[in-house]
Amino acid sequence: MSTKGINYISRRDFMKLGLAAGGAAGALTLGSKRLRAMEQDLGGTDYSSMTGAEREAIPFTCLACNIEDGGVAYVENGRVVKLEGNMDHPNTRGKLCAKGNAGFLHVYDPDRIMTPLVRTGARGEGKWKRISYDEATTLLATKLKEVIDRAEAEHDPGIRNEIVFKWGRDRTGGAVQRFMHTLGSNAMLNHTNVCESSKKVGLEPSWGPDIESCDWANTKYIINFGSNILETAYFMNPNAQRLVDGVVGNKAKLVSFDVRMSNTSGFADEAFYPFPGSDGAIALAMAHVIMNEGLYDEDFIRDWTNVTSKQLIDHLKPYTPEYAEQESGMSARDIRRIAREFATTKPATTFSYRGPCKHVYGSYQEAAIHMLNVITGNVEKKGGYCLPRGMGWPQPEPVPHGPATPSPIATPPLYPLASHHVSTNAPYMIMKGEAKVSVWMTYYDNPVYTYPSSHVWESFLKDEKQVPFLVSFSPYMSETTELSDLIIPDVTYLERHDPESMPGGLYPCLSIRQPVIKPLGGTQEFRQTLIDTIHKLDQDGSMGMRKYFAFNTVEDWMRAHFDNIPGLKEEGGYNFLKKKGVWPIYGKVDPETAKIVDRNNNEVEPDYELYKSELSSGDMQGADVGNHGTIRKGDHSIGVRVDGKNYVGFGTPSRKIELYKDSYKKYGFNPLPVYKPLPSRSKKDSELVLTTYKVNVHTQSRTASVKYLAELYHKNPAWINPKTASARGINDGDLIRVTSKLGYLVTRAHVTEGIHPEVVAISTACGHSAYGRLAQLKQREAAAEWAQGGDPDVSHNVWWNDKGVHPNPIIQLAIDPIGGSQGWYDTVVTVAKAEAGDKYGDVKVSVEQSLKDYEETLRYAYTGDIHRSNHKEVDVDWDNLPKPELHGSSH
Amino acid sequence: MPIGLQAEPSLGVPGKKRWAMVIDLRRCIGCMACVCADKAEFDVPLGVWRTIVKVKDTGNYPNTKRHFMPRLCNHCDNPPCVRNCPTEATYKHEDGFVLQRYDRCITCRTCIAACPYNARHVLPKNRDRIKISGVIDKCTFCNHRVEKGLVPACVQTCLGRSRIFGDLNDPKSEVSRLVARNSTVVLKPEKGTQPQVYYIKPDRVMTEQIASHPVSYAARSDAHAFYQHNRGSKFFSGVL
Repeated sequence: MSTKGINYISRRDFMKLGLAAGGAAGALTLGSKRLRAMEQDLGGTDYSSMTGAEREAIPFTCLACNIEDGGVAYVENGRVVKLEGNMDHPNTRGKLCAKGNAGFLHVYDPDRIMTPLVRTGARGEGKWKRISYDEATTLLATKLKEVIDRAEAEHDPGIRNEIVFKWGRDRTGGAVQRFMHTLGSNAMLNHTNVCESSKKVGLEPSWGPDIESCDWANTKYIINFGSNILETAYFMNPNAQRLVDGVVGNKAKLVSFDVRMSNTSGFADEAFYPFPGSDGAIALAMAHVIMNEGLYDEDFIRDWTNVTSKQLIDHLKPYTPEYAEQESGMSARDIRRIAREFATTKPATTFSYRGPCKHVYGSYQEAAIHMLNVITGNVEKKGGYCLPRGMGWPQPEPVPHGPATPSPIATPPLYPLASHHVSTNAPYMIMKGEAKVSVWMTYYDNPVYTYPSSHVWESFLKDEKQVPFLVSFSPYMSETTELSDLIIPDVTYLERHDPESMPGGLYPCLSIRQPVIKPLGGTQEFRQTLIDTIHKLDQDGSMGMRKYFAFNTVEDWMRAHFDNIPGLKEEGGYNFLKKKGVWPIYGKVDPETAKIVDRNNNEVEPDYELYKSELSSGDMQGADVGNHGTIRKGDHSIGVRVDGKNYVGFGTPSRKIELYKDSYKKYGFNPLPVYKPLPSRSKKDSELVLTTYKVNVHTQSRTASVKYLAELYHKNPAWINPKTASARGINDGDLIRVTSKLGYLVTRAHVTEGIHPEVVAISTACGHSAYGRLAQLKQREAAAEWAQGGDPDVSHNVWWNDKGVHPNPIIQLAIDPIGGSQGWYDTVVTVAKAEAGDKYGDVKVSVEQSLKDYEETLRYAYTGDIHRSNHKEVDVDWDNLPKPELHGSSH
Repeated sequence: MPIGLQAEPSLGVPGKKRWAMVIDLRRCIGCMACVCADKAEFDVPLGVWRTIVKVKDTGNYPNTKRHFMPRLCNHCDNPPCVRNCPTEATYKHEDGFVLQRYDRCITCRTCIAACPYNARHVLPKNRDRIKISGVIDKCTFCNHRVEKGLVPACVQTCLGRSRIFGDLNDPKSEVSRLVARNSTVVLKPEKGTQPQVYYIKPDRVMTEQIASHPVSYAARSDAHAFYQHNRGSKFFSGVL
């Protein structure tokens, strides 16, 4: 999930804020204080509970999950003893979630890898030899040089794409791309298609950025489509804070859709349980009601979109509430009522996350939900559905150019719209000979656990013919890392440097990660490993690589990012960030309202209607105003003229919201949001749809050995409705078999009213076969020779005896042909009582069957037969769709 | 700081502080940040908790609701644990904190038996950072923070701002205003303990079943595992 929001805020805006905060009158400050009690401070300093001594406070940016909350680490005698939210961070506002509060335990994980290791036994056998970081980077450089030398000898730069780098979480702010471009490889793979890529591809062509930032605190009506914003979804901590402020403080109504009672649906004023993957039908039906009943914002549609209301009314004709009822199970009456409420309560917003988009055709679902905000004119309104606000930082010069030869695994030719990669497909493509690997590097990534049909990744990465050299940078012995040939452990997020900016709220800001303590036990941060590797690869600079890594220290690298940013520079550049952790500082947090306020306790309001920023006469110099008001300068559109004014508009070619997407149509997809029933919709009555979910105290795979979190949540019985259970003779707690086309797993039933009767739900985060002793409940065993050891609390006081069962092996690969997302919630299963001899935790699956799933899902790709039969309504020259070709370089 | 073994109730006494917590259940989202913050604050070992959040689901499909119930020591104005402690290890501070002096505690568990709220536990051995064990421990309202002008750690991190802390004797404080303007309840008022944790908008289903037995298999099996490992103490957790 690499959200790079567009940088909308200008330095001029910051100066304005600075003035507002700086011009406070002393008398007023005193006056307002008298009205309040002397309340306790919320945070910012800390004292030992044992000695009362003040602790050293060092700001950092969290990376327990990917929300990048601002934090402060408290250090006592060289040890991180606790973490708390950074009061200066405008979106985190001094608070961390459970994972964030427990984050310091990553540093002291008894099973943390404290030394580079080289494999001595068979791959995956667990036999290692300790080596130094110097030896490890020499070995990596040697392996990389073999590939580069071969590419040079054969005059084929494409051979360099045999160097593959796959990450799950790359928060290095460009270091990985710099490294790979320096090596001349485009074979970079993220994890976004197992995360939320179809949400991004549903949004980006329409309005530019890949996510919405809702103004929760000021809204009056929220429809949540399949996100679990109070537990896990993107920007959980800042969004959850503001959502509670909106619902309780501002009396907003929250309507929630989920197939399972999440904490969000359990908190909502009204919760509905739609059939999995039918959110799009509901959203389209609501749009149908809003358009047909004249509840839409005609001015906004006319001025700011590339469609007309008439066009939408025609398009939405088939999506009646009655049709949506048939697809979703939500009554037409409720659909009409909620649609009317949403359209007539202002301001209002939707939020959506993986529920709708993690399906085949998830991009359409996201686009349909997005459209509700557009037609009701809630976009960028106070209390509405806003653009994300991020900030950028420059890369240190010189910056290596992207290599010319594209990598088929990074940009698969059959998925031309999937702008966030289709990483799930890489092993299948390589096994079919469509790409070759020499060195595979894995960073913050654990596909052997986290990917659909995870057994395919295990078999692929174990195969030395497919992957001759596997390098992991993980400090934890994950299911993937244990298959490596070489481990060069990174440090934890509290011991290293990264630049950050996340649009976690309406205030754009920069933040940093910095070592709050010296890396433990002589471990070395990843960034230094990259510098050392390049320096060894190109010792004298003759290969032209060394100059891109000409940093004396890692901190110099950070200074090159931050020391020359206008505004920040005047306040001290990187030194300011080291001290405060975040920039700019908008004001302080009002303890009673949690609003950001200035010295007079007046709210420092965020900016709204960013698309209505007017272009300056300088901007307009040499610009042309074309059809539909689009303002162009050379090849680029820079704005749009509306009512005689020149606005910056949205990040699309027309600078308007493009509900009609030419890019979709080019490949035979419907340019407007549609609903396509999924194969799971026509499952047999006896079958169920398997869905997965995350819980509030865990990430997908990285927290199972964090003791506070594991104590709260460690096992994941399958949620099943009482009606469904009793029809199968299943009682609460019974051993059950969940069987998909790939095979089966044996787990226990959690019979609960809080789930759709045609769904079975199994959470992630449990059932590890690696990732430290606690994750596997082997904490009584001795620590490995390479591990940190310690924490007698873990070895003696763990009281739970169930580590859960991981569902991913039975989940089928199913790819959204538009956004490239994995359809996590499209696997059809049967559920029955366990058979004789079945043991809890048994998993039996077939790699061969998973390979068939790959072929099946390609039929949905734009070149496939199912694509064509599913899109008869699209008016394109079907026999002359663009030919599949390697496109672009990397993203 | 002045201590009194059984300080007189200070609620409403002019010139005295009466620290109290208001828990606005409308704002609790069950995020468990408080539980983890508290564990970190005191290096609380596995198996015991100074604060927890109970979770309960109600209703029938498709009309269902989830409820959360944060629990901690009530820092009673009339605390039975203090009355019953034979060694004066447990005392009530004149500002309202009910505290434990480890060096006087003989772990007789009388206070555990006397507390109607299951808010006390014996500190297990093999802690990570702080090595004190084998004595009774409990929530302190983070008196070490409050004395320095800070709110308790669980309040500091509360995402929903459900936990609010302050001096109930100061009419201008947020807790005073919340208690005055909302209908609040305290737990087991009939015990005469004068608890100082006030809940806004509690569901009866939660307040009347604060010590209810686990219902689901998932929760029962956790409780079973817990009692196998920790004989003699009470299970006090459960997310599922």
